[in-house]
Amino acid sequence: MDMFLYYLKLSKHNLKRHKLFFTLMITTLAVGVAVLLANLAILRVMTSDPIPEKSDKIFSVNMNAWPEKDENISESLHILRYRDAMHILKSNIPTFSIAHYASQVYARNIESKSLTRFSAETRATTSDFFELTNAPFAFGGTWNNENSNDVVIGADLNQKLFGGINSVGKTIEIGKQIFRVVGVLKPWNLKPLFYHATERRAFNKTDDLYAPLETALTYNWGISARTSSTESFSDASDTRAKNVFYMQAFVQLENAQQKAQFQNYIDSYSQSLKDSGEHPFPINNKLYDVNQWLDKNKVVDQKILAFALATVLFLAVCIFNASSLLLARYHSAKFETGLRRAVGASKKNIFYQGAVESLIIGSCCAVLAIILGWAFLKFSLTLFPYLNDIASFDAKLMLLGIVIAVSTSFISALYPLIQASNSSLSAQIK
Amino acid sequence: MLNMQSISRIFKTDTIKTHALRDFNLNVKPGEFVSVTGPSGSGKSTFLNVAGLLDGFDGGSYELDGVNVKGLKDDELSRLRNEKIGFIFQSYNLIPDFNIFDNIDMPLRYRGFSAKERKRRIENALEQVGLASRHKYLPSQLSGGQQQRIAIARALAGEPKILLADEPTGNLDSLMARQVMELLHTLNEQGSTIIMVTHDPDQARSIKRNVQVIDGQITDMSIYAPLNNVALNKAHTA
Repeated sequence: MDMFLYYLKLSKHNLKRHKLFFTLMITTLAVGVAVLLANLAILRVMTSDPIPEKSDKIFSVNMNAWPEKDENISESLHILRYRDAMHILKSNIPTFSIAHYASQVYARNIESKSLTRFSAETRATTSDFFELTNAPFAFGGTWNNENSNDVVIGADLNQKLFGGINSVGKTIEIGKQIFRVVGVLKPWNLKPLFYHATERRAFNKTDDLYAPLETALTYNWGISARTSSTESFSDASDTRAKNVFYMQAFVQLENAQQKAQFQNYIDSYSQSLKDSGEHPFPINNKLYDVNQWLDKNKVVDQKILAFALATVLFLAVCIFNASSLLLARYHSAKFETGLRRAVGASKKNIFYQGAVESLIIGSCCAVLAIILGWAFLKFSLTLFPYLNDIASFDAKLMLLGIVIAVSTSFISALYPLIQASNSSLSAQIK
Repeated sequence: MLNMQSISRIFKTDTIKTHALRDFNLNVKPGEFVSVTGPSGSGKSTFLNVAGLLDGFDGGSYELDGVNVKGLKDDELSRLRNEKIGFIFQSYNLIPDFNIFDNIDMPLRYRGFSAKERKRRIENALEQVGLASRHKYLPSQLSGGQQQRIAIARALAGEPKILLADEPTGNLDSLMARQVMELLHTLNEQGSTIIMVTHDPDQARSIKRNVQVIDGQITDMSIYAPLNNVALNKAHTA
């Protein structure tokens, strides 16, 4: 401990003595670490597992039931017809199964004197949605009847309509219909939004309002997502009986056996459609777990990946530069090193002293890197505005920044330190 | 105290092999004051580097205070240097931006002494060299002679078995050189073993035992008359 304190004292002295040199070195390393951190902040959001506790048990159901021969359709589709989705929901193999589509409505607190209607991103879905996605309820729960006028609202909409209170039992008006709030969610950030990772929506916020699928169709709530059809349709309610592909389905399967059973279930369904001449394709249904689904949809921006590689290389250049600077400094400090060795410092002593110095440099570098990294992140988000609300500098990233800064400082000092502690003694002092 | 038998030190380049020391034998007893003289390039500094464990040797044996140094690891050599040897360099080798106290403190730190013990030793050493009140000064605030006294205090603070001085008066004017030599003689009288490399034959003559090195070998081991003031004065006013 005594020696550690002595090394600290010497390092502090050296830092004061060579202010310009150390400023240059710390800045060099800090810029490299900061750029990497800013990039990691974005990359981490993109590559994170949105539901790690069961991402390997939730599957996006992809089927090929397109009724016409079409050269553009070679793979199974993630968008399904109403009747295909209903067939999936009918199965009792999955623990939970849901179908959904995205919509948008305008909602108003019926008791409010104001006539203002708030725009609400809406998920028309089935009641298992909340259990399958682990949506966090603040108050109440899901609906019991798929044809009811019951809805669940998100924290933001609850704030806008009811000031954030427990609004379970309150009523809202949507398109001249009265709906009852049966559940209110806590603030919910799902990154990426795996249940709607297509159409570049993976980094959208979670929805404001969740309503029963049947009710949404009955009231003809519009479809705000990719829709493909072989027949014309005028209203959402028409889609129940027509070849309109727009719904997405997810199931929760607990093990390989359950998965195999369900695969068999949907394959049998597709085969029966094929046998009855409803589609011409070979049976090629797919079940993608959450991470496979995010990979398939290329949620990680390729530009970001390329940038990540560039930032790692940039950091390597910074380390190399810092190392060169240190080598020059140790060369100029040969006299002091030689003297210390002559009066009894071992190679280890010299090495440890340098290591403590690199620890201090690393700490200074970490502070600067976190500040610069935050600034670089803000700048980077101007290039990726859809990540604005979710890419952030949190405690974990700051801790990582400190570890990287201290490590890079040590790495850059390693070669110069080895050189310094191994240099010939007798040549250095007279 | 110091016993070298058939020491050889060879420096090699791609094409040249230089025998800096060859069949070098020297035995120094406790309390002796030995001067080492010889022309430039004769091997004096190489001898001092080997004696001070700053450099290795290629053949022979070397015992320092009963410890055979051959084959010792860096840690062990460093500990020996720290505990048994005090260096006095021609250029003083004080760290310019450390004050006197911190300069003398340096070898004591590597010995692991407590703060109290270090302070006691530093104060004693400064008193021995007559600069007790200067511990807050920077080296640049002292004269050359005073700086060399500080360097001697640094060597003394560890209470070494032997002092190795490499032309300690080489950078000093005659008055200061005399003061430093007087200090070294006093230390020797108090029991310190000293080996001093010097170019100055008069200075060497002021020391009882002289070793002359030529071409890496000891060629003469003269014992002069006991130290007297006439010889010392002559040596330092020359």
